[in-house]
Amino acid sequence: MQSYRTVLRAKLLALWAGTAAVLMVSAPLLAHHGTAAFDTGQTVTVKGTVTDFQYVNPHAQVYFKVKNDKGEEEAWQGELTAPNKLSRAGWTKHTLTPGDSITVGGNPAKNGEHTLWIRKLIGPDGQALQLFED
Amino acid sequence: MRRSLGHLVSAAFAMSAALYAQTSAPAPSRDLTGVWMIRNPAAIAAYAGATFTKDEPQLTPWAEAKYKEAKSSNGGKYTLDTTNDPVITKCDPPGVPRVYFHPYPFEFVSTPKYTLMLYEYDHMVRRIYTDGRPLPADPDPTWMGSSVGHWEDGATFVVDTVGFNDKTWLDRLGHPHSTQLHVTERFRRTDRDHMLLDFTMQDPVALVKPWMATFYLELRPKWELGEISCSGDYLDFKKFEK
Repeated sequence: MQSYRTVLRAKLLALWAGTAAVLMVSAPLLAHHGTAAFDTGQTVTVKGTVTDFQYVNPHAQVYFKVKNDKGEEEAWQGELTAPNKLSRAGWTKHTLTPGDSITVGGNPAKNGEHTLWIRKLIGPDGQALQLFED
Repeated sequence: MRRSLGHLVSAAFAMSAALYAQTSAPAPSRDLTGVWMIRNPAAIAAYAGATFTKDEPQLTPWAEAKYKEAKSSNGGKYTLDTTNDPVITKCDPPGVPRVYFHPYPFEFVSTPKYTLMLYEYDHMVRRIYTDGRPLPADPDPTWMGSSVGHWEDGATFVVDTVGFNDKTWLDRLGHPHSTQLHVTERFRRTDRDHMLLDFTMQDPVALVKPWMATFYLELRPKWELGEISCSGDYLDFKKFEK
């Protein structure tokens, strides 16, 4: 029979492992502000699953995980326009939620990180979402 | 002098309306109430996110020296490392007319004695007095200036603004101005949904001759202004690191 302390230690270890996993999955840094950080001459399209959606100024952020060719999981991040503009295009903070399957097309970050300036986003219902106000 | 400037302004702005397709109902008389958004036509959009005209304004040597120190935030094509735009790097209020280089709407609210201009970007507010008072003769310098406005005709609202500090730029390229800056904005509503905004910038310290341009505005009846706080939302970039 496991002692209380052992169980607690196991729980703490699980919590630590979980936190570490989250930190590893969320590795890309958003150091960008302005579009010069992105290569607008290139477009990358990836399919993934939403892990987080931050409806914040100056630009809303989509965090998602993608399986690469080797079957490994990669953490990606996509940048949208400002929440006010997205709201006027029909979005809310609940438009994307963790677990949603999405296809994201956008301009890649010049520094090679898995970061996109999103130009097209196909939402969980298979429809392209409006990314800009009229 | 005043007369010749008037002719210059008329000639420069006469062409602007030709770029515009008028498609909506007639404009209401003497009323700009509502939310407006800059929607410049393709012919000028290539530079109008960053500055007013394709050609450089004629700067004085004083202004040339200041302009050389400016590192543009050209139309959003920058990173924090490459610009010294005080709006972007310090959250300084943008001033007028730099405020029109934020890609966010603004709203006119009319009252009997003044008209309010509410800009979505960073809650900027301008109070345009329409009670017949003159421009202040010796204004204290402020970020957004002191403004008076009058109706030139049923569809043209003219706003004159003086009393600026010299900390703001005229545009995103970093063209400077002094405390002597005098900005005239002529809001020419061509129909219910469209409006031309003629700028005339005069500054004897910075500009050899007035700098003039026209931007294009569209009414957005279904839009409501939201909140964008520069100091709250933009300054702490660390919070985007996850």
